[in-house]
Amino acid sequence: MTFRGRHWIAFWLVALLGALWVVIYRQTSALNSARALADLREARAALEGRRAELDRRVRTAQSRTVLLPRARKLGLRLPADTEIILIPVPGSTSH
Amino acid sequence: MAKPLVRLRVVEIGLAAGLLGLLLRAGQVQLVEGHKYAAAAKAQRTERVVLDARRGSLFDRHGLGLALTQETYHVGIAPNELRDPARDAATIARQLRLAPRDVERGLHRRYAWFAGPFTTADVQPLRTTRGVHLEPMLRRFYPSSEFARAVIGRVGEDGRGGGGGGGGLERLLDSLLAGTPGAAVVLKDRSGREYESPARVISEPVAGNDVVLTLDAELQEIAQRALDDAIDNMQADGGDVVMLDPATGEVLAVASRRADGSMRPSAFTETFEPGSLAKIFAAAALITYERVRPGEHVSGEGGRYRLPDRVVTDEHPLPSLTLADAIRVSSNIALVKFAARLHPDEQYGVLRAFGFGSPTGVEFPAESPGRLRPPREWSRPSAASLAIGYELAVTPIQLAAAYGAIANNGVLLEPSLIREIRAPNGTVRYRHRPEPVRRVVSPEVAAKLRELLRGVVEQAGGTGERAALANFQLAAKTGTARRVVGGRYAAGQYTASFAALFPADEPQLVVVMKIDNPQKGSYFAAQTAAPVTRSMLEQALAARTVALDRARLSNVASTADRAPLDEPDGVVPYVVQWPYTPDTAATEPDRIIPNVTDRPLREAIRTLHRRGFHVVVKGWGVIHHTWPAAGEHVAPGTTITVFAEPPPAKR
Repeated sequence: MTFRGRHWIAFWLVALLGALWVVIYRQTSALNSARALADLREARAALEGRRAELDRRVRTAQSRTVLLPRARKLGLRLPADTEIILIPVPGSTSH
Repeated sequence: MAKPLVRLRVVEIGLAAGLLGLLLRAGQVQLVEGHKYAAAAKAQRTERVVLDARRGSLFDRHGLGLALTQETYHVGIAPNELRDPARDAATIARQLRLAPRDVERGLHRRYAWFAGPFTTADVQPLRTTRGVHLEPMLRRFYPSSEFARAVIGRVGEDGRGGGGGGGGLERLLDSLLAGTPGAAVVLKDRSGREYESPARVISEPVAGNDVVLTLDAELQEIAQRALDDAIDNMQADGGDVVMLDPATGEVLAVASRRADGSMRPSAFTETFEPGSLAKIFAAAALITYERVRPGEHVSGEGGRYRLPDRVVTDEHPLPSLTLADAIRVSSNIALVKFAARLHPDEQYGVLRAFGFGSPTGVEFPAESPGRLRPPREWSRPSAASLAIGYELAVTPIQLAAAYGAIANNGVLLEPSLIREIRAPNGTVRYRHRPEPVRRVVSPEVAAKLRELLRGVVEQAGGTGERAALANFQLAAKTGTARRVVGGRYAAGQYTASFAALFPADEPQLVVVMKIDNPQKGSYFAAQTAAPVTRSMLEQALAARTVALDRARLSNVASTADRAPLDEPDGVVPYVVQWPYTPDTAATEPDRIIPNVTDRPLREAIRTLHRRGFHVVVKGWGVIHHTWPAAGEHVAPGTTITVFAEPPPAKR
């Protein structure tokens, strides 16, 4: 079977459509990937921001400025140095 | 009228000429001006954007973040893109904590812009709102805003430590922290809006190095809080605290504050006359050059000693004093008399060797060298003045380094604020090693100096008694010096300072505390800076993560010279078995409360603790009575309140 004029035209049309489809597919896929990447980046930034905020709150809650007045209210106090027991580590020597 | 053939030829020639013109123009556009048009098209359709590099973080020595970089956002709103402007405006105002009227006003413009910056938590619910455009930017974030603020400094509006930055380490380390920005190309439409397409990265941004500081967050907080309380309670003008590891020169805490709440890095940049704190350096010269014999006494002159140019006085005179007594009771007269045996070059040389008059080399911008004049510039009373800490201007960090040399067997180390520098991938690029500056005194002389300092706290009548800890010995010196304001001594204004080595044997911590012009209560360091230092050390001992070597400390504590129990009964109730297994069923018989009346506070507390009682102290000095009273039988663990009366004030 030999290709005639209209066959060639059909062939090139299909080839053109195929090439266009590949380009569009690749573009769409790239855009989806970019969008997913941006979403992940945003999610990460959001989590990091949340972690930083929680860190800040934990730090504030743990600070002596907050803890000491509350401890005093509960009747607690800092131990005197006589009340702090350092257990000698077996085998450790003065140097 | 021309023949059709001729007309056709004319048309053909015209077409050919037109085509030729087109070809020539195309050639001109493509070949001659091609680069120009290509550049113009590229500029119209693409934009080169800078990719900000993440600034390196600052950590404390245990890895706690002190300065971090966080992504924040500017928010732009395109009103014509909003689906429900009224509802969206309300949401935006609520999320961004903006005044609703400001948002409403913004929606009347073509494009509203809110610079913020807003955190990720703020903008998270707006991400899906059509018409809201977020522009990310990296911003410096300090989890504890007041933490060592004067030392760390702040970045400027441009996110850099230089220029408009707030100085401190952010400025000094800017080139290390800043990193290298990257670049990328993005596509734009003809209106200049970016296409939603991946950017073509030309160069990736390189994050800055992370820096681990020598600061210990917990010690720093202890120091800051103690200083805040001291300034408030004593109505002082300001103060500084420096804590240093004498074995490495690492600065563990630096706190500086003024009465108005401002924080200047005055521990590095502002000088003061140390007064009696400098007496130990005169003693160092006297011992080094063997100008004083052990046990040699000088007269106390009844508390008033007239020199050709001035009169030297002692607050609490003794009839005669050894060098150890002179340091213990901080006698000006005895030190002046002893120091007269030194040649000016010797006296100057030792002070210079301890680092006075030159910057310590700590990594802090604009560190002050202090002032120590060479002997050729001295006046007649200079030698006497220097012996008791006048005509000498020092910074708290210089004092800490100098006392650190005494603790470190006579070797002066360069103090350091930087422990480690790490590349973004975690590789360690720099790790601090102790940097010896010079040997100042021999180990034997350093040991003798520590003994002199130990006497200040541990012996009766010492000016540092109020800093004494019950289980750990301290070596320290008090200093109360007149204060220079505007180049003159201000009437009634004093600087109370205290330098301590903790513990006295194998010191792990050098603490220098300075309180400027305490106005409420006593101004003497013995009653101001000394008890505050004790409180800081007690807190440091009680803290879990403080950089103290507790194994070494426990050995030192176990060998400390302890006073005997007043009624030894062989019971040492605070020794626990390891591993500890609590036995709630165990009961112990009641014990008799020992009589501690007229005993020094420290001894009384120690005695009661060893009997297994808790102690609450009211007042200080010697014990007046206890409640419950001595002789009563109470259960172990009962809280005994001891009431003490103060002894006379000491300098």
